[in-house]
Formats: sequence, C-alpha cells, structure tokens
Amino acid sequence: MSNIYIPHKARIASIKQETADIKSFQFELLDPEVRKNFKWKSGQFLILSVFGVGEATFTFANPQTRSEYVECSIKKTGLVTEALHDLEVGDIVAIRGPYGNWFPFEKFKGQNLLFVGGGIGIAAIRSPIEYSLDTRNDFKDITILYGGRSPLDICYFDKFDEWQGKKANLVLTADKGSEGWKHKVGFVPAVLKEMKPSRDNCTVITCGPPIMIKFVLKELTDLGFAPEQIVTTLEMKMKCGLGKCGRCNIQQLYVCKDGPVFDYAEIKKLPDEF
Amino acid sequence: MPNKLITQENLKALVNELAASYDVFAPKRENENTVSFGKLQAFEEYVSGVLLTNTTAKDKVYLQSEQLFQYELKKDTVEFKEKAPGKEAVIFGGRPCDARGFDVIDKLFNWSGYEDGPYTGGRKNTTIITVSCEKPETTCFCTSFAGGSPADGKGSDILLTPVSGKFLAELLTERGEKLAAKYSKYFSEAGEAETAAKAEFAKAAEAKIAKKLDLAAIKKNLDASFDSFYWDTVHLPCVKCGACTYVCPTCYCFDITEKKFGYLNGERNRTWDSCMSEMFTKMAGGHNPRTDTKRRFRQRFMHKFRYHVDNFKEELCTGCGRCIRRCPVGIDIRKVVEDAK
Ligand SMILES: Cc1cc2nc3c(=O)[nH]c(=O)nc-3n(C[C@H](O)[C@H](O)[C@H](O)COP(=O)(O)OP(=O)(O)OC[C@H]3O[C@@H](n4cnc5c(N)ncnc54)[C@H](O)[C@@H]3O)c2cc1C
Ligand code: SF4
Ligand code: SF4
Ligand code: FES
Repeated sequence: MSNIYIPHKARIASIKQETADIKSFQFELLDPEVRKNFKWKSGQFLILSVFGVGEATFTFANPQTRSEYVECSIKKTGLVTEALHDLEVGDIVAIRGPYGNWFPFEKFKGQNLLFVGGGIGIAAIRSPIEYSLDTRNDFKDITILYGGRSPLDICYFDKFDEWQGKKANLVLTADKGSEGWKHKVGFVPAVLKEMKPSRDNCTVITCGPPIMIKFVLKELTDLGFAPEQIVTTLEMKMKCGLGKCGRCNIQQLYVCKDGPVFDYAEIKKLPDEF
Repeated sequence: MPNKLITQENLKALVNELAASYDVFAPKRENENTVSFGKLQAFEEYVSGVLLTNTTAKDKVYLQSEQLFQYELKKDTVEFKEKAPGKEAVIFGGRPCDARGFDVIDKLFNWSGYEDGPYTGGRKNTTIITVSCEKPETTCFCTSFAGGSPADGKGSDILLTPVSGKFLAELLTERGEKLAAKYSKYFSEAGEAETAAKAEFAKAAEAKIAKKLDLAAIKKNLDASFDSFYWDTVHLPCVKCGACTYVCPTCYCFDITEKKFGYLNGERNRTWDSCMSEMFTKMAGGHNPRTDTKRRFRQRFMHKFRYHVDNFKEELCTGCGRCIRRCPVGIDIRKVVEDAK
C-alpha cells in the first residue's frame, strides 16, 4: 500500500528576491537516495508543502540538465505562496512529484526555437530555455521574447548573460518603460508582431497570462504558424496532481495528468473553459 | 464458484458473530426519518426494508474526511506518521448500486499510474455483502448500465438474493469465499433450483425498473452539446447546495487541506469536495474557469455521462437515484441527460 500523498522532505537552500512579489527558491531534498533518483523533465511540475498551511503547484524552473537543486520561481498570490515567501534559508518544506507531461524536445530537434514568456510564465519557460541551451547543438536559432509589466517585474537578470553567451537571441520588453530601460517597450504580442519570426522549421514555446497567450496565438496564426508549431502549458486549479481529485479537468483531459504541456492544435479542440 | 444458501436464522447468527470481530456497517435507523449505514452491534438494529439509505456506504471506505498523514517539524527535518490501518470491516445489507459504486471508483483510485494507498488500503480491508432488491424504487435506473440490475453482484464480495424463504449467497470474490469458508457452519450448498430461482428473481425485479436510459444516444448528444443553449436554462432551479454530490456512491472529487495542531505539528487531510461549489476551481488571483452555476451544473452531468465514459468506458453513475430524491428542487439526472441536445 503506497501513500502517494506523503512528500519528500526538503530544505530551502537559497532564496533570491526576483521582483517585488516573485522569489526564486532552491530546494535540497534531504534524503540522498531520493535526491539521486528524483528526475524530472522540462514542463513537469511538483507540489510543494509549506507545513502549517498546505500545498501548492509549481513548475520546475530549472532543467534536468541542472538538477543539483529543485528550483522554483514563485509569485506571492495566496495562502501557501505568502507563507512560503516568509520562510528562510534552512527551513523545512516538502515536495511531491514530478507530475505531468513535458515538452517533447525530441520533436524539436534541428529546429529554430522561439520562446515567448510573460509575467510569472517565465518560470515555466526557463527550464526549457536552459535545457535547449544545454543541448545547444540539437537546435538552430534560439530566440527568447520575454516581457513584464514594468522593468521591475522582470526576473532572471542574472541569467541573461549566460543565455546570450550560449547564442540565444534575447528580446526584453516592458509594458511600460522607465528611465534607463534600454529594451523594448510594449506588450509581448505587439513586439512579437514587430519581430516577424519566420514560421519555417520553427517551434514556439509560450507561457504567460491567459490574455497574453490569447494574443500571442493570434499573432502567430497571422504570421502563418500552424497550431502544431505552438506549444504552451495550461493552468487549472490542482490539489492532487495525480489525476484523482477531479478538479483540473478540461472536458475529458486532466491538466495534471494529460498536461500541463499541450500544443495549440490540441487546445483548439477544447472549449473556451479556461 | 459454487453458490451457497443461508437461512434467515443463520444470517442473523452470522451477522451477530461478524459484529463481534469486525466493524459491521449496515442500514441502521439514525433517527425517526433517517436510515444510514451505521455500526451494527446486533442484527436487530439492521433495517432490511430500505433500499435507499440516506447516504451511501461509500463513506465507510472513502471517508468524508480522512487523515493522509501527520507531521512533526524537527530542528533540521520533518517526521511523518501514517495512521494505523483501520479494523477489518464488513459492509452488510447495501444494494447492488452501492456496491457497483465501489467498483467504479476503485478504477479511478488505481488509474493514472498511481495506486491511492489511503483508499485501496481501506478497500482491501472491507468485505461487501450486498442484498438484491425485490421492489426497486421509482427513481432506480440501475438497469441502464452495462450489467446493471437489482440483482447484480459487481463490486460485491457476496451477493445475497432472497429465494424460497432463504438467501442464495453468491461468493463473487476471493474475499467473499474466505469469509464464507470461515463461517461455513452457517452456509449450505445451493442447488440448481435456487440458482434458477435467482435468475427469475432478477428478471422480475428488472422488469419493475421504470426507466432505462439509452446511454449511447445520451453520450452522442452530450458530445455535441457543450455549447448548447440547453445549459443556459436547465440549471436555473439548482440552488447549488451540493447535496447531489454528497449522497452519490460514485462522486469522488476531493480537496486536500491541512490542520495545524501547534506551531510544529499538524496533519494533512483529504475531504470530499463538490464540483457544484464555486471554490472548486477558483484559482489564486480570482480566475475561475467555472464561474457560474451553468458551467458547474454542466460539468457534473458531462463528467458522469461523457468525460468519464471517454476515460473509463463506463458512466460515473450506478443509477441509485439518490441525487434525484435528495435534490431540494427536484432535478432529475435521468431527464437532464436525456434531454441534452
Ligand atoms: C502546472 C502549474 C504550474 C504552476 N507553476 C507556477 C510557478 O512556477 N510559479 C508560480 O508562482 N505559480 C505557479 N502556478 C500557480 C500556483 O499553483 C498558484 O499560484 C498557487 O497554487 C497559489 O497558492 P496559494 O495557496 O498561495 O493561493 P490560494 O488562493 O490561497 O489557493 C489555495 C489553494 O488552491 C490551489 N490553487 C489556487 N490557485 C491555483 C492555481 N492557479 N493552480 C493550481 N492550484 C491552485 C492550491 O492548492 C492552493 O494552495 C502553477 C500552477 C499550475 C497548475
Ligand atoms: S449520479 Fe445520482 S443516480 Fe447516479 S450514482 Fe450518483 S446519486 Fe446515484
Ligand atoms: S442537489 Fe439539486 S439543487 Fe443541490 S446542487 Fe445538486 S442539482 Fe443543484
Ligand atoms: S489535480 Fe487532482 S485530478 Fe488533476
């Protein structure tokens, strides 16, 4: 009999304040055996316990190729995330997972990759970005378009040099600029339109707020991208992550079990329920 | 497996003996108006004439609220403690639609590559002795489902059917056989006549079921009706009480919550939840894909007669009719799914 709800013990190894309401955490699994066997793939998620408060769902922000710690970038939005933001290095938490499907990188080999991220969606995109940079020879051009509401809402400034050093073309934008902001100003979909990416031999991976996704999909469709070329992750409220609690379904699909990664062709078949 | 016979007298003695060593749950009067599955001390407390207990036997295995584990934070770690397995239990006197409910949710708790230990542990610990129904209620529609019948044994370990003043006891699983072997003194061998009488009993009882749904047609209509205007009005009487989901033997959705005892310890619990509640899908930040009653109401029927069928090749319903009886505004699931277009 297996109690699939008992999580793996972990300790907060580091905390980095990214923006006013987003922190990046490194978690170290306590049990060396578990640490050795705990393997995930970009796109999968975990369920984190903050003791005394409860559980919440987060994407692995780091790829399997950099798996010394489990890393998550977490936005403060409610009970669990607020309590987590109050914790300190050394505090004990716990992790269940990995759950869900992953980005089908074997299908993207030999292609150009375009990452389009907005807001906290960047957490879900960082893992596949770094995975593709770690397996750089498998891909042609790698372009990253990332936007936030303001320059102060952009995460991962410390990672950008490395990404560009590995020949990723990085385009940053802020909905509203500020003094000293040397990058683009405007909404992600508008900047995307301006960039006019070629659909030839290209896969787009996009994550962000629903409204951004909606217009990104529209721009890409206008640019001639086929639905199969666009991959995203869906978000639904989750409790179990195991396909059992019955909460995260969109029709017959369970986002926790059949997703969270879907291509736009699959999403188009679903109703407007999310 | 050979069928057995048991007399009324022996059944009484068997249940009394079972009650001495197991937790025996059976239809029992809770108060003047309510019969529910309660712990039986003696056979006399068993209410044999009620088909539709107030709630189902589901909550004897899949508790309405159950502890998944307790934790205690230590200096550099945390300790988990699982609750000890419960006493072996017998669910006695449930009906085929109750037992079938277990069969339906067993699959759910075992699918997706994960066996749900807290559920399956209790399930393996429980023997289900079901009694066939002679006079179905007007709200019963078990015959709509593949193999469904007032005398069907799916999900039961032992099925008792009244024949010629005794009960035919069909031992349907290893667990059922074991129990009958342990208490063999109460059973005798059944002959062909009794087995034939059971078939007659089943036929007669099935003929009394007022309504049989055309599930294939319903599935087809539901497949095409997600965006239909139908859902704009059909939900209007619903007051979102959630009663329909709480009395159902197949509703399984749950929430996971935490209870804090002190600064360092607490427990993680699982509690039944209901898709009829607004909080069910409401996400942090306020976004909710099922904001209104229409969407939640549609989800409930679509889940039972369409999505679950896509995933499990069977409906998430056994036709017990409890939701029809318990609904304060008289919503009839048979009609809702039949009329969908
Ligand atoms: C696959 C997936 C990946 C995610 N990855 C990230 C990430 O990398 N970084 C990040 O900041 N956020 C992520 N989220 C969103 C994150 O799960 C919610 O912000 C978080 O659950 C809110 O919890 P809370 O207790 O603070 O909020 P409350 O509003 O207090 O929520 C109460 C409980 O409801 C559930 N819940 C509420 N909102 C959501 C939601 N949107 N998704 C799932 N469960 C929810 C949780 O169990 C939560 O504990 C992800 C969501 C999903 C589904
Ligand atoms: S949906 Fe209604 S009729 Fe069907 S099993 Fe549940 S309570 Fe019984
Ligand atoms: S019992 Fe009736 S009123 Fe209550 S939630 Fe169910 S359908 Fe709505
Ligand atoms: S999160 Fe429980 S079924 Fe998907």
